[in-house]
This record gives sequence, structure tokens and C-alpha cells, in this order.
Amino acid sequence: MEILRNLWRRKLRTILTISGIVMGIFALTTMGSMAEHFNYLLQGGVTYYGKSVQVGDANGGAFSGGYMSASTLAEVRQVEGVAAAFPSVGVVAKPGSTNVVTFGIPDYITNYSPGSDQYSAFKLSLADGRWVTDASRYEVVLGSSFAAEFHKQVGDAIYLPVRPSDAPPGFINHRFTVVGVLNRTLTAPDSSAMVSTHDAQTLQGESLPVALRGKVDTYSLISGIVAYGKPGVDLDALAGRINAEVPSVKAAKPSTLVETFKSGGAVFTFITTAAALLALLIGGLSVVNTMIMSVTERVREIGLKKALGAKTGNILTEFLAEAALIGLIGGVIGFLLGVALTVALNAGDPTGGLFLVTPRLALLSLGFAIALGAGAGLLPAIRAARMDPVTALRSQ
Amino acid sequence: MPAMRLEGLTKHYGDPVHGVTALAGVDLKVDQGEFVAVVGRSGSGKTTMLDCVGLLMQPSAGRVLLDGVDAGTLNERQRAELRSHRIGFIFQEFNLLPTMTAMENILLPLRYSKGDRRAARARAEALLAEVGLADRANHRPTQLSGGEQQRIAIARSLINQPSLVLGDEPMGEVDTETSDLLLGLMRRINLESSVTFLIVTHDLELAARTDRQIRLRDGHLVSDERLAA
Repeated sequence: MEILRNLWRRKLRTILTISGIVMGIFALTTMGSMAEHFNYLLQGGVTYYGKSVQVGDANGGAFSGGYMSASTLAEVRQVEGVAAAFPSVGVVAKPGSTNVVTFGIPDYITNYSPGSDQYSAFKLSLADGRWVTDASRYEVVLGSSFAAEFHKQVGDAIYLPVRPSDAPPGFINHRFTVVGVLNRTLTAPDSSAMVSTHDAQTLQGESLPVALRGKVDTYSLISGIVAYGKPGVDLDALAGRINAEVPSVKAAKPSTLVETFKSGGAVFTFITTAAALLALLIGGLSVVNTMIMSVTERVREIGLKKALGAKTGNILTEFLAEAALIGLIGGVIGFLLGVALTVALNAGDPTGGLFLVTPRLALLSLGFAIALGAGAGLLPAIRAARMDPVTALRSQ
Repeated sequence: MPAMRLEGLTKHYGDPVHGVTALAGVDLKVDQGEFVAVVGRSGSGKTTMLDCVGLLMQPSAGRVLLDGVDAGTLNERQRAELRSHRIGFIFQEFNLLPTMTAMENILLPLRYSKGDRRAARARAEALLAEVGLADRANHRPTQLSGGEQQRIAIARSLINQPSLVLGDEPMGEVDTETSDLLLGLMRRINLESSVTFLIVTHDLELAARTDRQIRLRDGHLVSDERLAA
């Protein structure tokens, strides 16, 4: 209570000091929530790709978007150590769109292979409806962001691929019925539309250049294969065996993919750290200044308290608590403003937004604010605690 | 055992050659329950002696014994604890914290000492009544007159039930009528509770109304006069 009164005695100065912390924590919260969003995205990639082997065409690789024969699937399944392998067929959801700048994963259409969930480390679940089956035709399960972006729910119809405003001549799409909507995963599946493998192959064929359409049996082609190892099998070694035993394919080592995702995460960690340093600079200096002023103004009070029996630790604690409270107040306000901004920006983004405020970020922001306040107040507090009581009592 | 004893108390400020000797070997013994005035001109060493007795300042030489405990053998923490439990302070400028109410100011020393908080609060209420300010408990210092502030300061000095109260010109900032009132208040507490009072003052008239008058000149104790009741 006394601390609050002391802060309130110098309203303007306190408000200005807290403003410094507010700005810093505001920056930390907004940048941190963006980093959290991407970190979750990348973590999903680490979970999924770290526990499976992505197989693609030898000339393209696992993520080239190339084509390979569907018969290759049987060959991969024969490789020792493979527990199961599923075809992967994917096309972009908004072909030809000029809107290519994105901070997330662009919407995509992929096949859903029933049974793959039991092998995948990344578990998907339905918020509503049911899964598509191999027999499904023109039925789709939408990721949460995809569904939100197009305001679709189970029972609605959606035309896929989505016709862009600048659709090229010969663009073809189909009316799909939404039979399920996924729970939010905060990673790639959120922006996906899952159809049966047959439908995905249909769309794949229609995505070919007009000159090639009809000349290729699209149902004999897949984009890639996802292989899962038997328990205890080294997946990097399994990728090596697939490369060695199956001609014309390229299996990526899971550890290489995981490293790629982790290095991507490091960039966002750097962004958060930079924001924290900004907070440190702006907020820290203002707290140091305020606490030095506060100690200078209250020298007699310090002398009095020492005369009344206060020990060095008591005075140190009182001033540190005051500095930490400045940090906490600034932290709470800065965090709430940051949350308000991210909520507002996310609300304006049909895909669900770029910002993700997590409990971890809340703890980091508030903990950092308190530590910043206390840390910046430490030197002034030590100065106060070490003050000679007689000198302090006689000061004017 | 005397409540307070000074043996060869000496205090130098600055270096031995060019510095100032504020106290030059003062010997003094004060018994429990005495009401003592320390008089002398400015620079005679009164306040320095009070600071040493109050354990706020380390003497250059000599000893301060409080209830037989040699303060020179204590570390800073032990000195703070002894101050907290055994010594009360009254200052010329009251030194009440402006952000606190009268009651909170009285209770302030308890923050730094252990004890029954509920009993202390009851004692604070009793002290407020004792100094005649029971109805001012929730007033801030700025809402009180100088005399009222000093009465709160007196109550604060007694909250931890000290055996010794040190006053540094406690009536220096109040008018004569208030001064009389404050002196009467301290005297009554002294008689009722046997608390030892050591009051530094310029006011000889006030000093004449104590039990004992000690005079300092240039750091030396030049007279020690017991006054008739």
C-alpha cells in the first residue's frame, strides 16, 4: 500500500516511467506473439516430418511438387523397416492467384489417406463432421483457418480449387461438400482442404497445363509418398535404404528436415529477443532514472527508517519492490495493449491471423517486466540501503 | 545496572590532524527512568552524542553500553535490532512519512521488528489516546498541526516499548504552549512507564524542568547537575 502511495505521489513521473515499460512490453508481446505463431507452425513441422520419411521424385525431391508413379508406393512398402506408406497428392487451393505474399502456409488441397493417422506423430482431430474415405467423391474436410476464411461449415458447399479473380482460361473447379472441419492445430493442416486420394488426383490432372491434360493418366500419378518406420527403426537410415532400393525416388532424411525447421525457428526467437532488448533499453532506463530520483528525494525517509530499526535488507527490499511494481504495472498494461492489438489484427485476418498469444508468452512478458523493473531498480536500491543513517537524517 | 553508560566516548570527524573532535572522552551514566536534558551550544557535541547513543554512529573511541550491552561488539544488523527494540527516537522535524496516516506512522517501527501485530495495534490505539489524538488516527501529517505531528512522533517512539527514548530538539519546531504540552506528555510517560528520556535541547527553561541537566562544551562534559523535583 505504501509503495502505491509513493508511486502516486509523483503521478506524472510514475506514468512516464510506466509508459516506458508499457512500450517495451507492448513490443515484446506483439513481436513475441508473431514469433509464437511461427514457432507453433514450425513445431508442427518438426513433429510431423521428424517421425516420417518424405519420398519424392528423384528429379524433384520431397517438396518439389513433382509427380511420380503411383506404383512406386508398393516398392516403398517393400523396403525393410517400413511399417506403412501412403500416397501424397497435393495441389494449391488458389492457383494463379497474384496474392502470393504470405506469412504463413498458403491454402492447399491434399489427399487424406484413411489409416495414416495411426502412424503419424501429428494427430489430427475433427471439430465437427466426419472424415473423407477412399470412396468419397467431391467431399472435403477443411482445416480450421480454411473453413474460417471461406465461412464454411459442415454441410456447406465450396468450389475447389478456389477461383482466383485472375483465373487463367481453362481453369476448372468442382463443387465439394464440406463433411468435416478440423480442430485448430496452429500449423499446416489449418490451411488445408482434405479430399479423397481419387479427388486429389482429379484436381492434380486438372492443374496440369492445358496442353497436357487428357494425355496423362492422372490416376497413376502421385506427388509423393509418406513412409512410416516400424518401432525402433532409425528413420534417417530408412530414408537411405529407400533411396538405395527404390529407383527414381529421393527420400529426405527426417533429421535434415527437422534441422531446417529449427533453424527457421531460430529466426523468430531472434525477433523475440530483439523485442526484449528494445524493452530492456526503453523501460530499463526509465526505471533507473525514476528510482534514482526516488531515492534522492527520500533520503530522510531512508534515514528515519534506519533509525527506527530498518536493516539494510529491509530498505533494499522496499525499493526493489517499488521498482518491481513499476515493472509489473507497466508489464500488465503493455501486455494487455499488445493482446488487444493482436486480437484486433487477427480478427481482421480471415485465416485466423499471424499472432498467437500463449500462456508462455504471457509469463515471459510479465516476468520480464518485473525482472526489468527490479533489475533496473537494483543499483538505486543498493544505494539507498547502504546510506549512512545520520547523513540521511540530516539531509535537506 | 544503568540504562545507559558512556565510557570515554570520543568522536572525530575527518582526519586526526585537520579534523574536528566532536566528543572528547565523555563518561556518563544514566539510570533507568531518569529524565535527562543535554544542553550546550551548537557544535558542543550534543547531537553527536545522541547519534552514538542511538547506535546511528560508531564512535572513534570509547564505549556505549545499553543495559550492559557493549554496542561496539555488535554488527550492523544487531545494532539495528537493538535500535528497533530498545530505543525510541523523537526528531526536531517530526519526520513523519507524508504518505502514511498517523496510525500507520506510529506502527512503522513494527515493520522492522518481530512481535504480536494485533497487540501492537491495540498499543498504538492506546498511545494515540495517551497523546490525545485518538480522533486523528486516519489523518495524514499534512492534516495535523506541528504539535500534533510531534505527539504522533512521540507515540511512534514508544510503540516498541523501548527502555530509552532519545529526543533531538523535540520542541524545536513548536511554540511555547505546545512545548509545555509535549514536555508534560513525555514527563507523564516517563513517570508512568519508567522509560528513560535523554533530550538534547537549546532551551534552558525546558532543561530546568528535567531530573538532570548535562552540559557539553567543545566535546567535553563540563557539568552534570541533578535538579530538584
